[in-house]
This record gives sequence, C-alpha cells and structure tokens, in this order.
Amino acid sequence: MPSYSQINEKLIEVTLNNEEVFAKRGAMISYQGTVSFARSFLGGSGIQDLAMRTVTNEGYALMVAKGTGKVYYGYDGLFVNVIQVNNETMYVESETLLAFDSRLRTGTMFLGNQGGVQGILRGAVSGQGLFTTTLQGTGEIAILSDGNAIGLKVTPEQPVFVDPDAYIGHKGNLTSNIVTDLNWKTFVGQTSGESYQVKFMGQGTVYIQASER
Amino acid sequence: MTIYNPGNLPKNDNLNRFAFVVDVAEEIFIRKGKMIAYYGQLQFDSLGSSVLDILIKQSFNAPLYINHFVVAKGRGQLILGDNGNDIACYDLDNANMTIKASHLLGFSKEVICQESTMPGFLTLIGNGKVIASSSGPVHFLGLPCRVDVQSVLGWADCPSPSYRYDYAHVTGVLSMVGAMTGLTLSGEEKQIDFSGQGTVLIQSSELELNGSDALAHIVSQLPNLSKSELSSLSGAVSQHMRG
Repeated sequence: MPSYSQINEKLIEVTLNNEEVFAKRGAMISYQGTVSFARSFLGGSGIQDLAMRTVTNEGYALMVAKGTGKVYYGYDGLFVNVIQVNNETMYVESETLLAFDSRLRTGTMFLGNQGGVQGILRGAVSGQGLFTTTLQGTGEIAILSDGNAIGLKVTPEQPVFVDPDAYIGHKGNLTSNIVTDLNWKTFVGQTSGESYQVKFMGQGTVYIQASER
Repeated sequence: MTIYNPGNLPKNDNLNRFAFVVDVAEEIFIRKGKMIAYYGQLQFDSLGSSVLDILIKQSFNAPLYINHFVVAKGRGQLILGDNGNDIACYDLDNANMTIKASHLLGFSKEVICQESTMPGFLTLIGNGKVIASSSGPVHFLGLPCRVDVQSVLGWADCPSPSYRYDYAHVTGVLSMVGAMTGLTLSGEEKQIDFSGQGTVLIQSSELELNGSDALAHIVSQLPNLSKSELSSLSGAVSQHMRG
C-alpha cells in the first residue's frame, strides 16, 4: 500500500510500489522512479459518484499517479497534514483534499443528512457549500491547511464549539448543529461577532485551522 | 499530528505559531471574530451589554474600539487564531505597553486599556496578559532606534515615539513630485523614532496583517441578507469605488 511521509510541514512524499495515488491537480512537485500521471475522472469510485460530484460542485480535479517510485506533493505554500482513518469516515471539503489512495472509498455527502436543517444552515453560514466529500475506510489522507491544522477530540462528555470559518473537516461519528448566541441584547447593540458557532457532539475528531478563509 | 483534548491543550500558551489557547476562568477581553474553537461553557457578550458595565468602566477606556472587542466569560478553553498571523502573549507586571490596535487580540480584565496619543494604538496598563498578533515573529529592539511605520507592533516601558522624516528623501526631485501628487514613492522616508527608556516590538514583515476584520465581518453577514438587500449593498459598494 502507498506510504505517506512528511518531508517538512509543506511537503509530503508518497512511496508507490506498483500502486496508484490520487492527488489534487497541480500539486505534484517532483517524482523519482517510473511513475506515470493521468487525469482521473473517477477518483477510485464509480460512475454514480462522478455524476454526483458534477452535479454538486464537489468535482475535485484529480490526477492519478501510477507506478513504482516516490512522488512529492505540496500545494500553494499551504501546510500538509497526513490524517489516519481507521475504519471510519472523514468529511472534508474537496478543495482541501491533497492526496489519498484507493484503500478509501470516496463519496459526496449532502450536509443536510448530517443534522437535518441545521446541517444545511451550517453550509450556508460557513459559505463552504451544502455538499462535502467523504472518504471511508482505513488508510491515510493528506489534507491542506493555512497554518498547522489542529485536531480537536470530541467525546460524548466533551463537545467542541468551532468557528465555521476555521473548520476544515472532521472524522468519526459526529453530529453538528448551529449554536447562536443571539439574544435581545444582540438586536439592541452590535452582535458579538461570535454569533454562529458549530457544536460538534459524539465521538470523533474535528480539524480546524488558525485562519478564516 | 497531535490530537488535542481539554486535558492536553496548553494552558494560556501557544498551540502553535498561529494559534493560542486561553484558559478561561474569569472574564477576558478578546477581539471579535478571532475565536476559532472552544471547549467548555463559554459565552461571548458585546461590550454594549449592560451586565458588563462595571467591568467595562474599570478596564476598557477606548470608546473608539468598543465594537472591536467582546468579553468571553464562563469556564473553558478558548482557541484564538488570526488569519494565519503569528500570535504571542505578553505578561504585564505592573507595567505598560502600547500595541497597534488592529493587532491586539485580547487582554485580561485586570489590564486597563486606553487609547494611545498615537492614533491607531492602544495602551495597556497594569498586571495581566496581553495577546497580540503580528505578521511574522516579533523581534525586540533596544533604544534608541528608528522603525518603519508599518513594521511597528508596539512598545513597552515608555519610550517616546515621534515621527522622523528622512530629508534627503523628502527633498529629492522625484519625492517632491510624489509628495505633491499625494503618492508617496517608497514609504521609507517616514519612520518612527524612539528615544528614552524601554523596548520596541517590531514585526518581521511590513506587510499589513492578512485579512481584514471588517471584510470578514461583512462577508459573514451576507447569508442573512435578502436578494434586494444584496443588490442595494452592491450598489453602495460600486458608488464607494467610484468615489
């Protein structure tokens, strides 16, 4: 299976042994060995998913690298984070997805499925759209962040509140809903500027970055 | 990559260069919109709300900036971030410090915040923590020194700042034309001169901070607007661009 190792905070190395890896278009920095690159429409999943992605604007532009050797990936000076998933689902915006391989099944998820109307509102508030990409299985995923990504553990006893603009993605079994601190004072005076927070509950990890996009 | 939980988060310290964790036990002033996440029970109140009047009267004496800050209260761990800018915390021990207002991210309630006589700067007096962001890590300079206007983050312990103009620069032919047409050519001819006792804090880059609060605030409010409100906003924006 392809192995991911971090060269520095902004560059990763993926070692292939007659295997393939899917990566964001334009993210390949260099490679060694016999590796061929081609545009990938399917990204390791079926036609149905391709159609879903096209309709929902989660259509990531992917390149597939196939062969034996080492491929180096980095993108736009952003930090690269390798995240392990262990038989769980990672939810991430397609534009922050850097690299993954065929061990993981990809899909497109309607945020409305993730907490009903509240989920839709979350998409509207964070401006990140109503659909998100899912990766399911066991393996590694490389994602991009502006500055170091911060992983925050969520347990049933310990929910976490996140600024929708700083949210990158999450994994595990989490439900989210919008919390507002709107009250009568908000209407009288100025809003506090932290008026919308997303509360994550359940068991899993939420990833954020120290930057509002 | 470390996964944090309330147990292993740093207490009142940097999580990394770009994020800072505040262990909230009592009220603290933070800049609006800089919360990126928190654990625990926290509430954010705008400074206009009446329950906070007594606290504000004691600590916050800068009416011009009252809409830039909120008070966080409750119990929990609050993570602050500022658009990928570096964040640092300074401990005031019966001292004073002046910080560029747009870079001040937070300060504890024992600290008194007042407008500096230098426009655009806030002076913080007393005992407690001051959190500020900068473009690149902060460097400390002894006195006397002269610093580019854009690179100054602030100063501590009462140096006396004044503007200094480089006359060779100002009297040069090109610069004269520049000054008359209102276009400054390099920006290097105007510096801040510090004399006296103290320390000057400079940023590693003279770039303005990434991202503007005002813009982020407006963009965050857009989903609340109706179609007709949006079109009147775009009308107002284009009018502003022409003027």
